Parts: sequence; C-alpha cells; structure tokens
Amino acid sequence: MPKTIREINEKIRKGSVVVMSAEEFTRLARKESVEKLAKEVDVVTTATFGPMCSSGAMINFGHWKPGIRMEEIEINGVDCYEGLAAVDSYIGATAESRFDCTYGGANVIQDLIDGKDVHLHARGKGTDCYPTKEIDTWVNKDTVNEFYLFNPRNAYQNYAAATNGSDAIMYTYMGCLLPHKNNVTYSTSGELSPLLNDPYLRTIGIGTRIFLGGTIGYVVWNGTQFNTMQERNSKGIPMGGAATLAVVGNAKEMSSDYLRAAYFYKYGVSLFVGLGIPIPVLDEEMARHLAISNREIETVVCDYAQNGHPSIARTNYEQLRSGRIQLDGKTVKTAPMASLSKAREIAEVLSGWIKTGKFLLTEAVASFPEQSCVRGLEPRQKQEVDR
Amino acid sequence: MKRRYTLKFTPMLVDKPLVGKLVKSFDLEINILNADVASGKGGMLVVEFEGTASHLRDAVAWLGQIGVVVSPMSADILFVQERCVDCGACTAVCQSGALSLDRNAKLVYDPTRCVVCGLCVHACPLRLFSIA
Repeated sequence: MPKTIREINEKIRKGSVVVMSAEEFTRLARKESVEKLAKEVDVVTTATFGPMCSSGAMINFGHWKPGIRMEEIEINGVDCYEGLAAVDSYIGATAESRFDCTYGGANVIQDLIDGKDVHLHARGKGTDCYPTKEIDTWVNKDTVNEFYLFNPRNAYQNYAAATNGSDAIMYTYMGCLLPHKNNVTYSTSGELSPLLNDPYLRTIGIGTRIFLGGTIGYVVWNGTQFNTMQERNSKGIPMGGAATLAVVGNAKEMSSDYLRAAYFYKYGVSLFVGLGIPIPVLDEEMARHLAISNREIETVVCDYAQNGHPSIARTNYEQLRSGRIQLDGKTVKTAPMASLSKAREIAEVLSGWIKTGKFLLTEAVASFPEQSCVRGLEPRQKQEVDR
Repeated sequence: MKRRYTLKFTPMLVDKPLVGKLVKSFDLEINILNADVASGKGGMLVVEFEGTASHLRDAVAWLGQIGVVVSPMSADILFVQERCVDCGACTAVCQSGALSLDRNAKLVYDPTRCVVCGLCVHACPLRLFSIA
C-alpha cells in the first residue's frame, strides 16, 4: 500500500514515524527487500555540505534618517547589489573585498550569522525623498530587518569529478589539481546526496521544506542551469550535473556549523552550504531509488586542463571514496571537496527534528520543468540580432 | 631513533657537503623528504635522521654551529583542527599521507608523516594550515 505525505505527517505528529539516513537505508537494503522497507520506513534523510558558489543573502538594512537611496553599497569592503529599493540589497557569496581577495560575501554572511558587527558604507545621489548622500555605520543581524539566504543554485544532482592533464598545478573550485592527472577530486556526498536519492524529483519541487544552514528552509524554484537532458545510467542516475535547487531560509537562525565561508586559492571566495532534504518512502519505487549505493552512482572524470573540461573517464562513488582510482592505467589519488562527516551530521539532525515532531514533510506546490537544457553563451553580432 | 627536521641554510652553505659529513661523522641514516636548494639563494631541506640519541644530538649541535637553522619538523605546519569541516580538499595534495580521512570521514593529521611540502596551505578552503 503506498503511503501519502499526509499519513507520514500524522505519524510524525504521533511520534511513531520511522526515519533513517539514506546511508542506513542503503545498508538495510542489502539485507531486506525493498518491498519490506517501503512498508516499514517512512522517511529517509539526505544531506550534503559542499562549496556552492551560487549562494548569497538578501538584506534589508532599515531606513536612515533622513532617508538614503543606497546606490553604492559596501559591507566590510565587499560590494553588494544596489539595484533594488532604497535599503534592500543582495550580497553574493563570491563577491570579493576590495582590500583582501580571501575575504568576500561568504565571509560577510558568516560574520553576520555569527552575530558580528560589520561595517556598512553606502552612497546615493540624494533625491527629494531620500536626501542623504553617504552613510557609514555598523550593522549586525539584529539591527537589520530581513537577512535571509537566497541561493539560486545549490545541491547539484551529481557532479563531474575533476583532474588535470597539464604539466602545471591548477588551482580550481574543485581544489588543487596536481599535474599529469596525479589526483582526482569529486564533490557530492554520494548515496547520502539529496537529488541522487530521488533522481526523477518525484517528491522534491517548489515549496519543499528542507534543512538549510542549521534551520528550516524551502525550495523556491528549480536551480539555475537545471538540466533534465543529462544522460542517465541504468539506475536513473544522471552522469554529471543535472537537477539543481534554488533555496531560501532565514539566515538569522542559521549557524556557521552548517554554513561556512571558503577561499579557493587563485580562484576566489565561495560558501560551504549545509543542506538536507527528507524524502518520503511513498512506495516501492521510491524505496528502490533510496536504496541506491555508491557503486551504482556513477560520474565522469573531466580534464580541467582541456578547453571545455571534456570527460575522459567514467567512475563511481565507491571507487572515488576508496581514495584511489585507475586513470589512464595508473593508480591515482582521489579526494572529496564536500564534507561527508558534515553531511552525516546534517542527516542526523534532520532525522531528530522529524522524530521529535519539529519538522513536517511537505507536498510540493508545483513541479520542476520536465524539459530543460543548459545553453552556452554564443558570440553574436548586431546584424544577426537584427536579421 | 628517528627524528625529522627542517634545515634552512644560507647561500654560503649551499656548496658544503652537509649530508656526507652527517653520514661520516655522526653515523646517521638520512632520508631527504623534501628539498628546495638553489645556488646563490640558500635552501631548505626536510630530512629524517636515524641514529643513536647522542649522535642525533651531536649532529644537530654541529649543524647549528656551522650556521644551519635546524627546527624539529612537527612544529612547522600549523593546523587549526577545531575549525576543520572535514571536507577532505587537503588530502588531494598530501602525497606523504599525513592528511587523510578516517573510516568516519573525519580528517586525521599525522604530523610524523608530514614532509612540510606546504601544498595543504593553499589546498585548504578554510585556510587552516600555515607554515610556521
């Protein structure tokens, strides 16, 4: 008998819900049938904790007296977006400080989350209704009105592993890649990763309640570069970047245990985002998806030294996790970029919230696009546009 | 006993046969773990000495006398472990095996295996490593 989300929520309220992490579910599925697990388990928690550049925060600073229409905004030397209403702004995780390239938007977000005061400098041309032209002050998460995370692209469903076939070390957002393909880095939590456990996004859509940065957040849209056209393996797992999520959550309630600024040498600033999604075990089909193991989750290895980062090999997460893979006939060291231990911690915390009735599952308000591909950016001339 | 040291020397010392002297006079077995030596620029050697306690002591004293700056190696890489999130990015470049992820995916730092190559300093996205 299939379950409904309403029935599962009833069990959560009564305290009789059966919850476990995706890793535990996969372990159990080696001994028990998916039919039995579909009956007995109600919710499986999934999680990831990795650097996600497409992240940032909305801030409303509150109005100055007399008012200022902020047309240039800087926090701790980091430029924030000024093209909104007078005191609304968006600070992107990867924006760099004018004074220190290792400090950026992600650090400002982390500082605010940690309760620190940050320096705000803003300028406007001065208008009849907003006469003030320049301000200098200090703000923290309690002095501002809203401070919420809005990440346009998080939780990539699978990601290509990276290597470097050139003669020189490469410093990338996939870490330090040693020359001559002497290492391979990868960045998902494998069988614990959210979108790999629901590969066709049956239970995740707009409005899905999630764990974000230590508090409750929501999926608000498909993420940017959402791709339904990626080739899938026999288990339905896309072989590289595919679905993505846009997510929102109240940063005032977040913790730097689950949101951490990062600096990648010679690349720039990024943000480690901790994200967890509960997946309802509605029926046997969902149980089969959730039983997926690292061996069945495949990905490609891309050479970052070549134009367009072409894929040069195929591997799976069991091999990547072992610390060594075979590449071009030699044994190569592998290393993750996303923290599995943090992801496990998040899955545990989320399980605890569900068991204690603090977190109820949601029915998606709307589904994501069924057909969506990723376009590149082409050079075009004015004449072509006019034709 | 085995001990690891970082030896830093001035351009004047680059041409001296330090290793030969250490082997002959102090009966040490020497394993060079990392080297950065250039004529005219001075240099740095990361070495592991194996010998008796008194030979090791005498060798270190002699190196000091001739102007080599000797520092026990474990002190050279500083790691702020309490802020580590166990992402594992540093393990991508650590060829000596000093940095690894254990069975629970937690980062383990074994200073006795560190050869102070310094690659982890740039590899760590939280900038938790530094060379003292």
